[in-house]
Amino acid sequence: MKTIITVFRKELKDSLRDRRTVITMVILPLLMFPVLIGLTSRFVTSYEEQAQEKTLTIGLSEGVGAEGFSAGLEDADNLSVITGLSLDAATEMVIADSLDAYLLFHEEFARQVEELGQGEVTIYSKQTEERAIEAGRIFDLLDEYEVELRELRFTGLGIDPDAYHVISISTENLATGKEQLAEMVGGILPYMFILFCFLGCMYPAIDLAAGEKERGTLETLLTSPVIRTRILIGKFGVVVLTGISSATISLIGLYLGVRYVSAIPAAFIDMIMTILEPGSIVLLLTLLLPLTIFFASLQLTISFFAKSYKEAQSMIGPLYPVIIVPAFLGMMPGMKLTAATALVPILNVSLATKSIIAGQSDPGIMVLVYISLIVYASIGLFFCGKTFGRESAIFR
Amino acid sequence: MIEIRNLSKTFKLSRKRRKEEGASGTDGFVKAVDDVSFQCRPGRVFTLLGPNGAGKTTILRMIATLMKPTSGTIEVDGFDTLQSPREVRAKIGFLTGSTNLYARLTPNEVIKYYADLHGMEPSRFRQRKEELFELLDMNSFADRRIGKLSSGMKQKVSIVRTIIHDPAVVIFDEPTTGLDVITSRSIINLIRRCTSDGRTVIFSTHIMSEVSMLSDDLAILHEGRLLYCNTWSTFREGMIEASLEEEFIRILRGDKS
Repeated sequence: MKTIITVFRKELKDSLRDRRTVITMVILPLLMFPVLIGLTSRFVTSYEEQAQEKTLTIGLSEGVGAEGFSAGLEDADNLSVITGLSLDAATEMVIADSLDAYLLFHEEFARQVEELGQGEVTIYSKQTEERAIEAGRIFDLLDEYEVELRELRFTGLGIDPDAYHVISISTENLATGKEQLAEMVGGILPYMFILFCFLGCMYPAIDLAAGEKERGTLETLLTSPVIRTRILIGKFGVVVLTGISSATISLIGLYLGVRYVSAIPAAFIDMIMTILEPGSIVLLLTLLLPLTIFFASLQLTISFFAKSYKEAQSMIGPLYPVIIVPAFLGMMPGMKLTAATALVPILNVSLATKSIIAGQSDPGIMVLVYISLIVYASIGLFFCGKTFGRESAIFR
Repeated sequence: MIEIRNLSKTFKLSRKRRKEEGASGTDGFVKAVDDVSFQCRPGRVFTLLGPNGAGKTTILRMIATLMKPTSGTIEVDGFDTLQSPREVRAKIGFLTGSTNLYARLTPNEVIKYYADLHGMEPSRFRQRKEELFELLDMNSFADRRIGKLSSGMKQKVSIVRTIIHDPAVVIFDEPTTGLDVITSRSIINLIRRCTSDGRTVIFSTHIMSEVSMLSDDLAILHEGRLLYCNTWSTFREGMIEASLEEEFIRILRGDKS
């Protein structure tokens, strides 16, 4: 045990003095969530404000319907109206972005409304996601016009305009805050934790195996009277520690992000805080620990096999997509933790984390997740030990 | 004391090498060391001389238990490398020319690390470290990061790392490769000093001047086979050619005249 601690302490000290390790283990996970939350909230707020405050230029067709509509727009803010435009001219203007929308009122619009029918209006605009808020403003204007016409119609018929509403619908959301949170961020959070576990392991794994081989220090280390397994455990411990620390620091980053970044709704902050309760954190870490052992063994195996630091990097690099795909699949709506998905590494952690956040984890399925993770970690450890003991890998 | 009997080591060639050498009839294997026997005695420097690929490093790695012999035996101070590898490793110090150090640690930290790995008692470690640091004038940079030291300073740290635990057997594998004249000289002096302490020293080289400066016993290797093994004085007396270099080439060619 003493020699394991000796190797562990030395490797930890060495790793913590490596700038790359500190960046991937501490700085990146600590800043990722605050920066992401800050930038996203600022961008969304600024985009919404701009879209609401932008002066919309609307083109209207000729005719009684259009005239009635435009008369109601005199007091509207941030609106510029061009009347009497032909369809051809308006279409060209919309394409050229000199007109935000063109409203074509049917030539029979007045008669259609008069005869208790529906007056037809067609909107010509660029219907993209980017212009969704602008489109919403135009629909609101048309809605107001419709309410005005309906009230006139109902009054003319001697009916109370309020009689239009036969059913009054109201909703009560019975989903818990955790369930709503799982819906909103349940996919992205495990994705981030998994990524940080992997990245946190990467540089120490490369440096402590391939790096030592390249420097020639591994050869001298192996001539010391220490059992190789103890050297491996010492190194392995550091790689696992940096991986799990990276994920834990990302949780701290998440806490700081939601606590100190402005423009986040209070309800959302409360929901996020529920996953930062000690119980949830312990559950998350017990999931991440076997996963990190699996990542550490995988990366150390490759790194011991590689001839140099550079080769180890180029061999571990292609693992990114292998990690990202199942983690990403966990973000897909409808993807649930079942007995089958509980056996798929990485995907199972992603889905289990989601169910922990939602507070809906099934103990039976969770046991399956743990068993499968322990099996994968053991397989990884077995191959890591085999590679480290192999002469042909050490002196490749 | 190192006792080597009928030592052989065979490597399996990589797929790439097998393809390249397919026509040369190696059957996918190459014999790096072929039935080699010799003895290194305490207080003497045993030199392994040979061209690149002669098998020198492989023999030294087998002595240091980094590789296992395909056949034959090695005993270091009475311990068999296969039966008692940890006991053998406790007896040896190992330094190669390609060995580097942990750049982010200080000399003090590196030396302490290796002393701990050898299970040295703290008081004995302190005493030995003070002696060696004093001897090699290392106290002025003992707490500076190794990455910031000059190559000469680094080499001093390597030397102390190799002998901090007072090994009975010291193995030097081409220890002066890539070093400047002054640093090479400090290594040569260290090797000489090791024998005066009664240690067994084995070192490999392909530099003739080092052979004449250091050797008490000499073995010449070529393509894994031992072509010559005797004391340095016997070798010198029996030289046919005028220079050591010429004599070495003559032996490699197998010229009997």
